[in-house]
Amino acid sequence: MLKSDLVNVLVAKKNVTQKQAEATIETIFDAMRDALVRGENIEIRGLGAFHVKHYAGYQGRNPKTGEVIPVKPKRGLLFRAGKELKDRVNKAGEAAASSGGGNGQPR
Amino acid sequence: MTKADIIEGVYDRVGFSKKESAEIVELVFDTLKETLERGDKVKISGFGNFQPRDKRARPGRNPQSGQPIEITARRVVKFVPSQVLKAALNGGDADDGEESAEGDGNDSP
Repeated sequence: MLKSDLVNVLVAKKNVTQKQAEATIETIFDAMRDALVRGENIEIRGLGAFHVKHYAGYQGRNPKTGEVIPVKPKRGLLFRAGKELKDRVNKAGEAAASSGGGNGQPR
Repeated sequence: MTKADIIEGVYDRVGFSKKESAEIVELVFDTLKETLERGDKVKISGFGNFQPRDKRARPGRNPQSGQPIEITARRVVKFVPSQVLKAALNGGDADDGEESAEGDGNDSP
């Protein structure tokens, strides 16, 4: 599924024009991106949470030459699926994977 | 940021009523969940990909008691941020596109 498929779903299921649907999808993901860039975390109930993680810089090494190179601090993104998404995805997988229970954390 | 903020953004920028905005945002996230539930990927260019991954069973431990237990086979969702988003998080200076670039993020060449 691509962004364009989401647009088509909106056009098919809601009383909106193609243009409006496109603007809506752009707005949603732009807003999410902007929040993350500001360093804000996002929590969408049922879907999951996006967490901006700060990594400290460190002295790395070029594995080939052994040369010391500073690795700059950076920000990464962690996504943790929400309960509903986790359960739905895993339930659907159960038929194929033969087992799969809901105990404990998967990590 | 929560869903309410996203709904507010759609209300402000696209011009639906509050109620319509809420329904539409809800539909978008429901569609994402349905797609992943079917085992399909969702690719949002410029943002990232959500992909279901099948995990094999593996040994684990109850962290509280230290008792060994089996972590059962399961399907989980992995999110891979697009190069564009990663670059934006780090000041927009990656080789793969600048902050405002659109239409990338499918991440495959």
